[in-house]
This record gives sequence, C-alpha cells and structure tokens, in this order.
Amino acid sequence: MGDILQIANSTAFWIFAFIIVAIVAFQAIVFLWIAGRSAPEADLTKQEVKTAIRAGFISSIGPSFGIAIVLISLITLIGSPITLMRIGIIGSAATESSAAAIGASAFGVELGAENFPIEALAAVMWTMFLGGTGWLIFTMVFTKSMGKTQEKIQKRNPKIMASVALAAMLGAFAYLASQQMVNGPNHAVSGVVALAAMVAMMKYADHRDISWLKEWALGFALLIGMTTGYLTTFIM
Amino acid sequence: MNNTAEHTANVAVDSRISGTEASSMEMFYRRSHFWGRLTLLVIIIMSLIPPLYISFVLDAHPGWGVIATGLVGYASFIGIMWVLEPITYYPTLGVAGTYLAFLTGNIANMCLPCSSAAQKSVNAEPGSQKAEVAGVFGIAVASLTNIILLVIMILGGTYLISMFPPFVEGMFGFVLPSIFGAVLGQFAYRTPKYGVIALVIGMAVLFSPIFSLIKIALCVALTIAVVLFMEKKKGNLE
Repeated sequence: MGDILQIANSTAFWIFAFIIVAIVAFQAIVFLWIAGRSAPEADLTKQEVKTAIRAGFISSIGPSFGIAIVLISLITLIGSPITLMRIGIIGSAATESSAAAIGASAFGVELGAENFPIEALAAVMWTMFLGGTGWLIFTMVFTKSMGKTQEKIQKRNPKIMASVALAAMLGAFAYLASQQMVNGPNHAVSGVVALAAMVAMMKYADHRDISWLKEWALGFALLIGMTTGYLTTFIM
Repeated sequence: MNNTAEHTANVAVDSRISGTEASSMEMFYRRSHFWGRLTLLVIIIMSLIPPLYISFVLDAHPGWGVIATGLVGYASFIGIMWVLEPITYYPTLGVAGTYLAFLTGNIANMCLPCSSAAQKSVNAEPGSQKAEVAGVFGIAVASLTNIILLVIMILGGTYLISMFPPFVEGMFGFVLPSIFGAVLGQFAYRTPKYGVIALVIGMAVLFSPIFSLIKIALCVALTIAVVLFMEKKKGNLE
C-alpha cells in the first residue's frame, strides 16, 4: 500500500485537486452573484439577503464537519488529493468507498490489500471518476427541461408548485429520518430530540418574532440531537 | 439553433405579460442555466484528467475491460441514482440549487438543510421565487464553507482529528439522524398533519420489500400525491 500512496499523493494529483476545488468555489461565487442580482425582484431586501447567507453559513458548519470526519477513512485508502477531488464534488464517503471497492475488485485485488499494484489504483480511479460523472451529465443536460416543466405547472397553477415543493421536502426527509432512526435506540432518540427541538424553536421564533433564532435553529437542533444521542449511549 | 429563437420569443411574451419582474427572474434562470451548465461541463472534463493521467502518463493503464467491468458493476446499483436523485430533489432545489448541489455533492445532508434554513430565516413560502433565490444563497454559502473546511481538513488531516477530544467523534456518529430529524421538523411544524403522513409513508416504504435505491423517490412521489390530493379536497388548489 505504501508505494501506491506515494503515487497517489504526488504533486500532479495535488494540482488536479486544487483545480477542482477552485471550480467548486468559483461556481459558488458566481451563483451568489446571480442570486444577488435577482434578489430585489424575488422580494428579498438587503437585510434578508444577509440573513439568508448567515443562515446558510451557520447551518453548514455541522454537516461540513460531519463530512470531513468521515473522509479521513478514505485518505488511508486512496491518499489525500484523490479524496479531496472525490469528496469536493458530487459523491460522499459512502458512494466513493463503494466505487473504490468495486474498481479494485474489477482488477482482481482487494481494497487496502498488502499487494496493491498501481494499475489497480488506476482501475479504482476510473470507476470513481467516471461513476461520479453520471449525476453531473444528467444535471447538465436535463435541469433545463425540469425547469421548463416547473414553469408550465407554475403558469397553470402556482399553488400546485408550492404544495409539490413542500411535499417533496417532507417525503425525502421523512424517509431519510426513518432510515436513520431505525439504526438503533440512540439514533432514534437523537432524531426525535432534534425534530422536537426544531419544532419548539421555530414555534417560539414565530410566536415572539425572533428572526435570529431561525438562522441558528438548524445548528442548535443538530447540536442538541447529537449531544443527546451520544449521552444516551451511556445508559442505553 | 431553433431553441434560441424560441427562447427569445418566450422572453418577449413573458415580459409583455408581467412587465419587468418576469424579465428579471428570466435573467436569473438564463444566467443559472448558462453558468450551471458551463461549470458542470468543466468539472466533467476535469473528471477525466486524473484517470487519463494515471493510465497514460504514469503508464499504469489497467485495460479498458477492467475499467468497463468496474463501471458496469458500480452503475448496476448506483446508476439509477444518477437519474432519480436530480428529479427527486428538483422541486425543493430549483434550477440554480440543482446546479449547485449536484456539483458540490452532499445534497441531503448539507445542501437541502442549508437551503431550507435560508428560506425559513426570511419567511419564504416553499415553491415561491423568494424561496428559490434565498435557497441559492444558502446552498452557495454552504458549498463554499464545505470546500474550505475540506481543504483545511485534508491539509491538516489526521493530525487535526487526533486533536479532537474523543467525545466529538462519538457525537458526530449522530449527525445524520439529527440533521434529518431537524429538517423534517423545520418543514413539518406548520403542517404537522402532513409531517405525520410523510413519516408514515416513509416507514411503510422503508420496510417494504422493494429495491432499496428507489425507496426515497417512491416516498417523495407518494407524499406529493397524498398532499396534492388532500389540498385539492380542501379546495386550496383552486
């Protein structure tokens, strides 16, 4: 494994990794600009733009740390720059480690094995990088048609779109939460507590009209849920 | 380019109907499509370079047969997500949000929560233009935060992790149930009935013996159907 990591951590891969990081950052900045230009027409005041940005930032800290902690497991397998390239764009620790395992077995070796030739690393990389482009190609080609469909529905009846957006969010997160909560009693507790904390904070914020609490609500709920889940591991 | 002419005609019609407002949101969509597609195209091309480099510059080509085997093996279980995920999340992400979220990744565990937090912080109704633009701010900032943190973690790597007290790692074992529960609460607190319905559908789908990767899309589709049906019955869609 040692020789492979030396190659995987070589300068060329670091350069590729930083180009990819730069594109991701560039895209985010371009979309901040696009959204900023259209904010007045979307009924967002300057103050509200700041609020939205703050809320996005606060809410992203917890998840980002979660992502960063999981990726450490990948570094030992495929080296730092390739991990950065894979996690920095579409793909998570779960999808990428399964892609890596499948790529390695296609070459006839096991991931992390003592005798891991550089050709096997190449097979792993092809599987991960080509596999990841599936989402990218579909989004690049079909987002426009999805936008057109949305426009048609919106023109016919804007209320339908509002209900669809709400229901889609509820459906997705009801499933994701269920899936996590059946993992065990501690997971269930942390999910339920985070949900309850969120509902309580949002109701209180609505009632007292406290807008800063809405910015922080997700961060707080996350912290409360994680802490409770962890603490219950000592008693359950 | 028949499309362009048609598009321009659409723009003209739009701005005639609802004045400058439509034309400015039209600019939002046009810019989003242009920059979204361009950045995705660049990333797709960039995704080919590292494997090409290891195969042909470092001279370690594993053979196209091996590559095809790996890719087919991977696509056989993840391929359906290439199509289902963008469609499932589109109604919540919108045009610009889709381009952002599918480039940066971590859609369910980061982009959607941050989008919804931004929308809720400015009291935007789901599905409105205000919600769409506010959500873009949320996701774009999240994408930036995430990539900066990733770079720090990769450079600091295992050293930084070893500095954390052990309970931090224990706590982050619960990051997913917490975030999914919290986001569900954020959307369900005003319509608790729909929240409960979605949870019942979620649990039912989770335990039904169907191919696991289509479950989330099925759950979203069923929830949309039930909510639309109930709203229609209440006469809210007239």
